[in-house]
Amino acid sequence: MGLRENILTDPVSELELRDLVPVDRKATVREAAALMRDHRLGCVVIVDAAGKPVGKFTERLLMSGLLKDPACLDKPVEKFMYADANPIRQDAPIADMIRMLKDRELRFLCVTDGGGKAAALTGPRGLMEYVADHFPRQVKVQKMDSKVYMEKREGA
Amino acid sequence: MARPKRSASDLSDFEDPLKNYEKPSYADALERSLSEDPVTVMETTPFRTITPDTKIEKAMRMMVEDDLACLMVEDRGRLVGIFSERDVLNRIAEDFEAIKHGPIRVVMTRDPVYIHDTDSPAVALNLMAVGGFRHIPILDVDDRIVGILGPIRVVRYLQRFLED
Repeated sequence: MGLRENILTDPVSELELRDLVPVDRKATVREAAALMRDHRLGCVVIVDAAGKPVGKFTERLLMSGLLKDPACLDKPVEKFMYADANPIRQDAPIADMIRMLKDRELRFLCVTDGGGKAAALTGPRGLMEYVADHFPRQVKVQKMDSKVYMEKREGA
Repeated sequence: MARPKRSASDLSDFEDPLKNYEKPSYADALERSLSEDPVTVMETTPFRTITPDTKIEKAMRMMVEDDLACLMVEDRGRLVGIFSERDVLNRIAEDFEAIKHGPIRVVMTRDPVYIHDTDSPAVALNLMAVGGFRHIPILDVDDRIVGILGPIRVVRYLQRFLED
């Protein structure tokens, strides 16, 4: 089976999902940003008391928030968050996820379990890891440092 | 000086170094493209550049107004850094008021990993996946910036192969 067929049939749960960092809507932007830094994430998900996603706060929102209101760091994250965490069920095909990312130009999706609770985070990075894992040709022998190129041409 | 003529017996000694080469086979068009196309098939333009002296606040405004996640920093035609939303989170957010009029060179990521425009999409995706880079500048043979690859463009590329 080829990579395309795998993408069409494999569920989102086959991706290497990122741990989701839940944040209460009353948390401050500073607290949300600290969590993003600590967990090396570009996004935190705002959840309600039942653990269901109600929004998300991203690096983009942090940047625009700082420009609009430099005092935003001490304000509640709910004032700046997107009111949609863009949930996708963990059993949905990866192809659905790609369509969702493309159509809405998203970088993060909140993966939910069967009960609709926020379970994990994913996005284009998860897709890239999936392609790297499922398409090993060329992938195992890649350069990881651009400076491995020869400084001068050898031979003719 | 005239090149010596080869005799038929010389040619009979010739051994094709590629005689055991097996042409790769691919299960679908996506796999073939990942391996054989140049990375420029992945919509690697447009992009925007700034200089190392661009003010931090101005760079951030450019990104918000143009809906960009990163800017490439160019000095005399050479890529010297990249400035992204991640840099805002890690290096600016807590001190924004104090440093917003400073030059981007103090907060940018220096000497970013890049690829060349002749590299394949598989090379780019692997670098992004394994290295954790969201954006990879693309340079030409003279090391001049010709594009950038980011997550949205990767998604668009993959989607093209899923459509019937």
